[in-house]
Amino acid sequence: MEPLIKVENLWHIYPVGNVTALRDVSLNINRGELIGVIGQNGSGKTTLVKHFVGLLKPTRGKVYIDGEDTAPLKVQQLAAKVGYVYQNPNHQLFARTVKAELEFGPTNLGLPEDEVAERVEQAIEFFGLEDLRDLHPYRIGFPLRKLVGMASIYTMKPDIFILDEPTTGQDNITTRKVYHLIEKLRDEGATVLCVAHDMILLAEVVERMLVLRDSELIMDGTPRQVFSNHEVMASTHITPPQITILSLRLRKDQQTLDDVVLSVDEMIELTKQSNTGKK
Amino acid sequence: MQGIVIPITMVPGNSTIHRMNPLPKLLWTLGILALSFSTRNIAVLGVACLIGLLLVFYSGITKAYVRVAMILFPISLTLITLQSIAPAFPRPWTAIVGFGPFTIYQEGIYSGISLLLRIMAMTTWAMVTIMTSHPSDIFTSLKKIGMPYVLNFIFVMTLQLIPILQSEFGIVLNAQKSRAMKGSGFGAILPSMVPVFVGAIERVQQLSISLESRAFGSSGKKTSFRQVRMAFSDYVALFLGFLVPGAATYWVIVDKSLDWSHSMVFSPAFSITLVLGATIGFLVFVFFAIRAALSA
Repeated sequence: MEPLIKVENLWHIYPVGNVTALRDVSLNINRGELIGVIGQNGSGKTTLVKHFVGLLKPTRGKVYIDGEDTAPLKVQQLAAKVGYVYQNPNHQLFARTVKAELEFGPTNLGLPEDEVAERVEQAIEFFGLEDLRDLHPYRIGFPLRKLVGMASIYTMKPDIFILDEPTTGQDNITTRKVYHLIEKLRDEGATVLCVAHDMILLAEVVERMLVLRDSELIMDGTPRQVFSNHEVMASTHITPPQITILSLRLRKDQQTLDDVVLSVDEMIELTKQSNTGKK
Repeated sequence: MQGIVIPITMVPGNSTIHRMNPLPKLLWTLGILALSFSTRNIAVLGVACLIGLLLVFYSGITKAYVRVAMILFPISLTLITLQSIAPAFPRPWTAIVGFGPFTIYQEGIYSGISLLLRIMAMTTWAMVTIMTSHPSDIFTSLKKIGMPYVLNFIFVMTLQLIPILQSEFGIVLNAQKSRAMKGSGFGAILPSMVPVFVGAIERVQQLSISLESRAFGSSGKKTSFRQVRMAFSDYVALFLGFLVPGAATYWVIVDKSLDWSHSMVFSPAFSITLVLGATIGFLVFVFFAIRAALSA
């Protein structure tokens, strides 16, 4: 099966300052995957994903979306397939009401009026924005505004969602809501890429992680594989969730645990199994 | 976005011009401004322009200057086209050649060239000052000669906001393009400008809170992190900044023989070539500007 996103020996050098932001990156992403892109600031995460939506073009190498080379395509052409949700919703929102904001993307795609209306209603329901539809986006709080930003991309029904720091600046309730929405997007068949520093999101929600360091892709694996790789963790200065650190210590120092744990629920489950075994 | 950002900001360097105190540079720029507005003599304006270009080259800001000039010069060329058929001179005008309803006039050609040189002289000198001086140094120097601190601060912040807003505009434009918005035309203005202005207002509000919480507006003498000193050479440049442009301005005002607007005669061939060249130059610029906007 042809991968949905195919990256071949991608290099990106920013002309200003001649900065190499990506160095020979190759990877494949299949339809329906839920992926986390991690690394320190300046490691090349955003540069990588901006190639998928055509905001950046490769200096060398190729990026294919659904088998199509992105180099000659405009952002507007790729927007139907790849949706990019910005970290700061204020960079996206401008309309007088949430509803008008949600209509903006599909109308740019030239969809008929009834389909736009249907998609807007679906987005409102999906993101739980029923009470906000007629409010000005700048009148609602930041966490909900961020959801409006995501919903404004959802109405375009892209195959790929790129979420740049989806949980930054969110309170606990909205953070949990975002986790749930990401899983829901995947369940609907979308491919989701989260550029994130939120380790709990990465541990509990994503299934595969791409780790970038100094412009290179240094690891591509499951969260369990990534978090248990000491060299990668140390060199990227990434700290796994505390429950994962605890499980790693218990596994290494105490040898009382066999597996790497990614969530509190998993730890409770393992403890239960261990107690049952002793009895 | 990179392509449409005009880099009117300091270009780091270590030339003599860079090392000079900003005050003489500002004085020279103001002097050239006064001189340019006081004369239409194309030789005087041409020399001012040429010296400015030599300073651009000498201070190593050529690349940045050319990027600005590539936009400014073609736009200024319209002055030649428009002035040639409708001179900003009192009548009577001397006709050179006519094309249907349009007639090219001697005074128009002269006026077009002098206005073009005037703009290029003023902007070239201004670019030299801006591109070789750190904004903080300019305002620290102005403060030393009595400019009020608050006024100074407003200028500094305004200057600093320009590149921030330019960068913000680039991000917003990309955000809207990734929602399939066309990157040009009237349809692009509202979705791009609203977030930039809202962001600017929010930024200014946050800044005012941040300033007040750090004792902005308190009375008493303030210190400055950046120290700007006047060297002997700066005093000499300052003195010459009064003397040379001042004397030149006095000379161009009192010497009536410098008015060449009626004595200079342009041949029909030269006039047609100049007007056509200027018009084509401007249209080529418009073509490339539209192409760049459409491919954005």
